[in-house]
Amino acid sequence: MTGRQAPLLSVRDLKVVFPTPIGMVHAVDGVSFDLEAGQSMGIVGESGSGKTVTAKTLMNLLPSYALVDGSVTFDGRDLRALSAERKSEKHLWGVEISMVFQDPMTSLNPVKKVGEQIAESLRYHLGETRTAARRQAGDLLEQVGIPEPGRRLDEYPHQLSGGLRQRVVIAAALACEPRILIADEPTTSLDVTVQKHILDLLDDLRAERGMSMILVTHDLGVVKGRTDEVMVMYAGRTMEEAPTEEIFSRQSHPYTEALMETIPKINSAGHTRLMPIPGQPPVTTSPPIGCPFADRCRYTTDRCVAQGPLLEALGDDHQVACHTPVGTPAAETALAANAARGHTATGLEIHHSGVPVGAVADGPAEQV
Amino acid sequence: MAGRGTVQLRGGEDVILRVENLVQEFPVGRHRVVHAVSDVSFDLLKGETLGIVGESGCGKSTTARALVQLPPPTSGRVVLDPDSGNEVDLTGLSGNDLRDVRPRLQMIFQDPISSLNPRRRVRDIVSEGLEIWSDGGIGTEGQERVDEVLHAVGIDPAAAASHRPHQFSGGQCQRISIARALTVDPEILICDEPVSALDVSVQAKILNLLEDMKARYDLSLIFISHDLSVVRNVTDRVVVMYLGKICEVGDADRLYEAPAHPYTRALLASAPEPARSVGVADAVLGDDIPSPTEPPSGCRFRTRCPLAIEKCATEEPQMQQLDGDHFVACHLPRV
Repeated sequence: MTGRQAPLLSVRDLKVVFPTPIGMVHAVDGVSFDLEAGQSMGIVGESGSGKTVTAKTLMNLLPSYALVDGSVTFDGRDLRALSAERKSEKHLWGVEISMVFQDPMTSLNPVKKVGEQIAESLRYHLGETRTAARRQAGDLLEQVGIPEPGRRLDEYPHQLSGGLRQRVVIAAALACEPRILIADEPTTSLDVTVQKHILDLLDDLRAERGMSMILVTHDLGVVKGRTDEVMVMYAGRTMEEAPTEEIFSRQSHPYTEALMETIPKINSAGHTRLMPIPGQPPVTTSPPIGCPFADRCRYTTDRCVAQGPLLEALGDDHQVACHTPVGTPAAETALAANAARGHTATGLEIHHSGVPVGAVADGPAEQV
Repeated sequence: MAGRGTVQLRGGEDVILRVENLVQEFPVGRHRVVHAVSDVSFDLLKGETLGIVGESGCGKSTTARALVQLPPPTSGRVVLDPDSGNEVDLTGLSGNDLRDVRPRLQMIFQDPISSLNPRRRVRDIVSEGLEIWSDGGIGTEGQERVDEVLHAVGIDPAAAASHRPHQFSGGQCQRISIARALTVDPEILICDEPVSALDVSVQAKILNLLEDMKARYDLSLIFISHDLSVVRNVTDRVVVMYLGKICEVGDADRLYEAPAHPYTRALLASAPEPARSVGVADAVLGDDIPSPTEPPSGCRFRTRCPLAIEKCATEEPQMQQLDGDHFVACHLPRV
């Protein structure tokens, strides 16, 4: 978020609300970020954090009943106004902004040869001839590392392995040379060995083409060492945004810290007790006045409950929405006070060591 | 991996389950056969957690299902209490004899939501096992058992009596699946990718719960996963499988700290956070696992192996002991 020149993509105070039978679900609740040309950014969060809805908003894929507020500017154009006009900008989505989805089997058409599926967008958007589009589809398959691209053009998705299918999806997304590629959990349904190849491929292609990329994932390990920046989302809000290295070396939001602690580590000893995050994500039908993470956070003070923290700069390029960022004296004071009285301001029980009781004790932690 | 052999088997009264030369093949039309599991042998000690890891298609889930005879394996033996004097070979049983043994091995599956019947109340789902194995009603004692197990896994028994699975979250449904397996007091719990459909914060809760249940109910676990970090966290011993064969078996610490098989090394190097014991150079695998209908000759891993030599194509490596509890099937193990 250097903001020296105008960024390629700029999202300001984005809000997305879905009317549902149980009430208005605030899926995205005031998210802002910038993406520079050539930059890659990770959006990390658990199910229900609003990361996929954010990505779909950028891609103009929200259902028509979704209520959207805020601004999305791409290369000086107001995307929300364009999406309202519909037809006039059919050569924007899929051409300049393109997306790769989680499950390659469902994002490909099972009854159409993969070559045709890639050529389709070239012919529709760029008006290429059948022959030229087919030749280019073959080149694209080669670029995404598919062996024998000529033969693969005439195969159907079911004839390919999961990893190859995802490469086909990437080839189709890249066909019109997008300036931004959004990858939503691109490797979640793939094996670790294949995952590494796909992530490396995406990164190489991004560098080669000078594309910007948004990598949406629930797995912090996926963004590590790959993106320039990471935005951590929770309950539809941005909790923390920082350069990727700093998220790993100096995470400041208690939620980011809790996410890191909850993941089993390949290099730690066997049978290490894991540290789950106590409680459950809030129901987003009624966004809390205070911090949405307050119920599950061990640093929670009265202020966290009364007043929602705003995203504030903590250092160069590092922003956090927290009254008591981890590693600051405010956090230490809050934690010491909570440990001393045995609970936080929201009543979460805290062990005298400063760890939530649910994380140390055996037995039930979740209730219906 | 190719490997065959049984040197990795341990003897003694502590062995609760022994799998010998397990083969599972499925016909797929016109004389073609999928060699899903080919000559796999391992054992499980009382109170141990055994991990089985490998990519999709390596046969790890098929192996788990063959243990509970779903379906019975093509050949090989699955023996309970093999060295106790009253061993039971599951593969030789059928009908009522098999049903009598089933409570001793229970299983939980990957997708907690689809493994519960959406039309039934949670309490009925959990107590069904007990009902089947206690002719007629389950009685007060049975009801108490159901309450006790539900409470142990963190589900409110009152809510379970009136709610159906869709009213619970994915993590809670996995707790319900665990409760259903535990009511019949099993000795062995087979967990097939129990946390891969869950969010990371829920995953930690379920993994902790499995450790707690293992201690509370004296269980031995077989834990199948493609996630190497998760396997590191919960297991004592690890089996690495590739294309229906075992590559490497050993104590989890040794296997993670000194992986000997090139496939194990590649797996450990491909993880989002690679293991310390391997380098970038070890992450060498291309995308494609060969087809299990026509597995490569010799060592099945040779087509993707960076070290493969001529011998690997002609001669299948035998399982050999490295040091202590660490076995590898490779002509060129890294030691």
